[in-house]
Order: sequence, then structure tokens, then C-alpha cells
Amino acid sequence: MRVTQSMLSNSMLNNLRQNNTQMSKYMEQLSTGKKINQPSDDPVVAMRGVDYRSELSKVEQFERNMSEVRTWMDSSDEAMDEAGQSLMRVRELVTQASNDSYEENQRENMASEVEQIKDHLIELANTKVNNKHIFNGTHTDTPRFDNNGNLSGESNNKAINIEVSDGVELRANVDPSNAFSENMIQGLENIVTDLRDNNTTGDDLDGYLSDIDQYSQNIVDERADLGARMNRAELIETRLSQQEITTKDVMSSNEDADMSEVITNLRMQENVHRAALSAGSRIIQPTLMDFLR
Amino acid sequence: MSTTSTFHGLEVARRALATQQTALHTTSHNISNANTEGYSRQRVNFEQTNPFPPASRNRPEMAGQLGTGVKAGQIQRVRDEFLDFQYRAENNKAGQYAARSDALGRLEEIMNEPSDSGLAKTMDQFWESIQDVATNPEDGGARRVMVQRAEAVTDTFHYLDGKLKDVQGELKNQLNTGATQVNSLIREIENLNDQIGRVEPNGDVPNDLYDKRDLAIDELSEYVNIKIEPDQDIGGNPSALAQGIPSIHLADENGNAIPGAELINSNNDVKGIEFEFSGTNDSLVENINIGNLNNANDEEGDDPTAIKSVTNTIAADSFNSTGSLRGTMEANGYVDENGDPAGDYVEMIDDLSLMADEFVSAFNDQHQKGHGLDGSTGQDFFTLDTTLGDGAAAQISVAPTIKNNENAIAASDTAGESGNGDNALLLSDVRDEELVDLNNQSIQSFYQAQIGDLGVKAQEANRMANNTSSLRESVDQNRQSVSGVSLDEEMSNMIKFQHAYNAAARSMTVVDETLNRIINQMGIVGR
Repeated sequence: MRVTQSMLSNSMLNNLRQNNTQMSKYMEQLSTGKKINQPSDDPVVAMRGVDYRSELSKVEQFERNMSEVRTWMDSSDEAMDEAGQSLMRVRELVTQASNDSYEENQRENMASEVEQIKDHLIELANTKVNNKHIFNGTHTDTPRFDNNGNLSGESNNKAINIEVSDGVELRANVDPSNAFSENMIQGLENIVTDLRDNNTTGDDLDGYLSDIDQYSQNIVDERADLGARMNRAELIETRLSQQEITTKDVMSSNEDADMSEVITNLRMQENVHRAALSAGSRIIQPTLMDFLR
Repeated sequence: MSTTSTFHGLEVARRALATQQTALHTTSHNISNANTEGYSRQRVNFEQTNPFPPASRNRPEMAGQLGTGVKAGQIQRVRDEFLDFQYRAENNKAGQYAARSDALGRLEEIMNEPSDSGLAKTMDQFWESIQDVATNPEDGGARRVMVQRAEAVTDTFHYLDGKLKDVQGELKNQLNTGATQVNSLIREIENLNDQIGRVEPNGDVPNDLYDKRDLAIDELSEYVNIKIEPDQDIGGNPSALAQGIPSIHLADENGNAIPGAELINSNNDVKGIEFEFSGTNDSLVENINIGNLNNANDEEGDDPTAIKSVTNTIAADSFNSTGSLRGTMEANGYVDENGDPAGDYVEMIDDLSLMADEFVSAFNDQHQKGHGLDGSTGQDFFTLDTTLGDGAAAQISVAPTIKNNENAIAASDTAGESGNGDNALLLSDVRDEELVDLNNQSIQSFYQAQIGDLGVKAQEANRMANNTSSLRESVDQNRQSVSGVSLDEEMSNMIKFQHAYNAAARSMTVVDETLNRIINQMGIVGR
């Protein structure tokens, strides 16, 4: 084949251009840390990339939802724990009062203590977490009881469901009709009234004990149910954090560039480029003219 | 006893001097044009002149025949037409794929996926914000965020739609400029044909005009595929090397002439092309028209590269002449055989609008079932604002009632329950809902499929653009190998011719000396 100077310089330019294209590709991989920067670099990786990103955003959102669930559950549990202890104190007081040996002013003291406990239970039932009343079903913006212990107008026992993983919803609140029933408040009020009434006998007071046990049992039942859900929440939480790691892992192996490979490739390309340049400088320069006198 | 003329030797030497000088001039011409695009090296065909004596009844009695020297027979360009044919075929494909890969590359840049700022990410953030509303339905902050994220989604739709339409407009300009370019190349070829037609009958070979014409045809082949048929019917007394005026046809992808699409015929009558855009959507190509160009001496101000009267119309769908024009047309969009729009940009624009439309109606359906904090129900979350442009992707916007009052977001499935986020949960499930009009795919997987599709198409176009352009380079190398000027070769030729010139001059000196001897120094004995 007949080879001319302009062919030499053309093909050298062409090769240099190709070298530069390759180098810029490796440079881009190096500076972005990604194997691909355009869907056409690898359509499959690009499609999966979109998918993994949205998977990851879901998992992260579910983790956020989960922490919300925990706030609800932990606050509900604490409030019910306190309510249970308060009821035990009421039971002690009623048992004490029922043996008829106390004087009037002592019964009055007991009555006012039970009254204080009743007010405390109302406060507990109206617990506000993050500006939400957690024991009032879906009417989170109104307190459960008014100051007199009557159910406020807007109140229900509905579940607050929060999605914690694909298609899985977890009930975040407890059933307030069990934990803080209107009967319970009413019952305590009756106890207070009866303690202040001199005609009340010990046997009358004894009758309240089974009621109080029932209120306690309701709270214990509700806490047991909540505890079971908390266990489930913990399991889901563990699974979510594992899922997050896995998704990030898969995403990284899908689209992240292998740095050592990229750097090696870049070095190799650099060498080729140098060689091409030095070959070019030798080939292009001399012509026959340089050797004719 | 010689019977040649006394001055025979002078004449032989003179011819040699003149011929070697012609060769030197040609060498110099080659060197001058070593870097001229499209130039083919030229060569002087040396020929012996007729020897003496010629055959005749009264030929002199002498040893014959005696050589009478050299003449420059013809000056010929060194070129291989078969390589031209190959080059144009590759140049044509390279043009088509380069145009397509360029357009798809811009499409990829606009879509900007996968990234942390594309439509997919914006949508993800929107779905997240709905979840936040579902967990905190009474929280005005979460609702505000959801409205803002929804606006980010609509903005992204608007941006993509607008950008795609912008580039489509540019592609349309490219098509029109391309047609003008084709027409002006045809005009240039017509003009060169004219000059060539005047030279050839005299027996001369217009090498440099041929080169210019071939270069123009090379350029033309990038835009459209062409078929060239030689025509050697030249009047007068042409050289055997004369090429005449070849006719140029538009050709389909297999190189067969398209009927009725002769751009230049052997009488040098020319036609041009133009794009005709659809009446319903002026960015779609409907037809390619072929017709007579304005005459330069028609009315003043008429563009000589614009069509005066259409003689043939090819429907865009059956315009199968490969090249950058078709590559650009396929990217831009055209009307297919059923009258529907086809092409990469128009399809992406339509798909985005379909997606936006389905998204709006699926989301609104669910939103209408819920109740807002302010007691509203049956409200739309998104609306399609027809004042914003064509297509749902341009029109999608957050409903003003929601934009002005985040409490109207229907998070609850029961009226009056502020802590109820059940409808918001259902709203966030729209993300994975399979929609009939999206081929039973969810919005996200539909979008993903578009991106995957685009990637595959662009990858294919890039690969073909690379392949065809390297094929073109290699054919061009072959062509350069035949026609290119080698400086080394020219230098050695120059020395060769220079030596021959010097030697001819010396031989003339020898004849001069012999004549001097006869004329001035003979017959003077005893003087």
C-alpha cells in the first residue's frame, strides 16, 4: 500500500482522538465514581439503577415511619405503666378504708388522694406526644377527657396504621376504650364520693375492689397486646436495616466503578497515548527534503 | 547517409525540455495541493512523438525509424472510482448514524437518568412526602412539604417536556438547513458540470474541476444516499479520459435509484429537495418534496436553493434514502404510514405526557375518596392546565385549592378525623398501582422502561456511528493511498525531471556545438 504523509498524520490524529475519548471516559468514571453516566453506556445497569434508587428511598422512608411507630408505642407503654401503678395505689387505699377502723378525717385524706389519682389518670389519658393526643383514636387533635372526666365530643377508638414495609401496616396506638375507659374514671369518682359519705360501710367499699382489678386487668391486656406489636416492630426494624444495607450494596455493585480497575485502565491508556505521541513526533517530521541538499 | 533535417537534434531537445518542464510544473502543482481536501495527485503521461520516417512511397533511404523525442500526452488525475463509490456508501451510513447518535445523546442528557436529580428521584421524593403525611396527617408542615414536592414533580415534567420540544425545534431547523445544504451542493455541482462541459469537447481533461465535483458529491452523500450513473456522451472531440456529466439520483438504503427523484440528469438539469411539515403538528415531517429550484435569473431575491415547483412528493414514511437527513428526521419525528407520529423525540414527548396523564387521573381518583383537615372532600390534587401548552406533561400542575391550602390534602378516609392517614397511605400505593393504559405497568416501571429503551437505542446508534465512521476512515485511507500526494514521491520525481531537463539542455548544447563546428569552423582551410 502506498502511504503518504497526510495519511500518516490523519491516522495519527485519529488514533490520538480515540485515545483521548477513552481517557476522558476513564476520567469521567474516576471523577464520578460511576461505571456509567448515560443510559447508553449500559442500558441494563441504568434501568436497574433507577429501580434500586427508588427501592432505597422506600426503605429509608419506612425506617422513618418506623421511628414514628416507636415513639407512639413507647409513649403509650409508659403512660399505661403509670396508669397501672396508680390503680394499684387506689386498690391499697380502698382496701385500707374497707376495714372500718379509720376516722372521718382519715377517710377524707384517702378520698382526696384517690381524687388526685383520678385527675392524674385523666392527664395520662390526654397524653400529648409530638402535639398529638395518643389515646383518642384518630381524633388526635382533641383530648380524650374534659376536666370533669367526661369523654370529649370528638373521640373514637380507631387504629392509627403506619406502613412500615411494602404492604405491611402496623397499628401504632392502643385501644383507648380498654386502657382509659370512661367507666374507670366514673368508678374512681364513685369511690371518692363514697369515701366522703359517712354512711358507707367497709363492705360497700369492698365491692369496688373487683372493679379496680378489672380496670387493671384491661390495662395489662392492652400492654400485652402492645408488647407483642413492639416485638414485631423490632423484627421489622432489623429487617429494614438489613434491607437498606443490601440495597445499597447491590446498587453499588451495579453502578459504582471499580476504582483499581479504572486507575489501571487509565494508566494503560496513558502509556498508549504517550507512545502514540512519541511515534507521531518521529514519523511526521522528516521528509525526503530534510535529506536533500 | 542521413537525410534528417539539420536542426532535428535541436527540435528533439526542445521537445524534451518542454515536456520535462510540464512534468516539473505538475509536480509543483501536486506539492502545492498536498493538503487540499479532495485533491487527487496528477501525473503527466509521457508519449514518444511519431518516429521518422513515416511509412510512405518516397520515404528516404535511411535506417529507420529514428526517434523524434517526447511529448506530454495527457495530464491525468490518479483516482479509483470504485473507492469513491465505497467512500460515499460509508459516508452516507456514517452521516445517518452520527445524526441519530447526536440526537439521542442530547435526549439522554435531557432525561438525566440515572441520577439524583432526574424525574425518577423527584417522584421518589414525592412518594416519600406522602408517607410522611400518612404518619403525621395532622401536621401542617408535612402537608406543606408534600405540596412542595408535588410542585417539584410538575416542574420536572414541565422542564423535560419543554427541553424536548426545544431540541425538537432545533432538529427541525437542522432538517431545513440540511435540505438547503443539499440544494446548494446540487447548485455547486451544476455549476461545475457547466464548466466541465465547456472544457471537455476541446479534448482537454479538467482534472481540478473533477476533483471539486467529486468533493461536492462526497459531501452530498453524507446527507442523502445517491446513485451515480456515468454518461460519456460528450460532444466535440473529447479525450478518452473525459468523464462527461454523470446523472445523480436519490437512492434508497440498498443503493437503488428512487423513481422520480433524479437530482441532476445528464443534460445538467437540476432538482432540489425540501421538507414539508404536517399541518396538524408542525414539528413532524409529512413529506419530502422534490422539485425544480428557483432560477438564479428569475425574479430578484429568489433563493436559488429553494424549490420553485414541486414535481414529486415522497411520504416521510417511505423516504428511505439513508443519510444524515433521514437520521435527523427519525430522531425529530415524522408521520408514519397510519398517520401517527413516530420518531425518538416525539415518542418520548408523547410517553411523558401519557405518563403524566395516567399519574394525574390515578392520583386524583384516590384523592377524591379522602377527606381533608378542612372538611373538604372529592377534590382533585392535580389539574391539567391547558393554558400551559400541549400534552399532559406540559399541563400537569398542583390544583390551586391544594396549593393555597395544604389542609385540603385528603389524608383521611373518614371525615373529621385529623389523625387518620389511611387515605394518604392509599395515595402512596398509587406508586405501585398497575395502570391499564401504561401496558399494565406502574408509573415507575413504565418510566424505567422508557429509559431502558432510550439507552438501548442510543447505545446501538453510538456503536453504529463508531463503526461506520471507522469504516469511512479506512476507505478514506485507501483512497488517500491511491490519490494522496506523497511529498517524498514528488521530491524524487522532481529530481528525476530536473535531471532529465538538465540532460536535454546538455544534448541541445551538443547539437549547438556540432552546428558551430560545421558553420563556423569548416571550409576555412588555408585562410
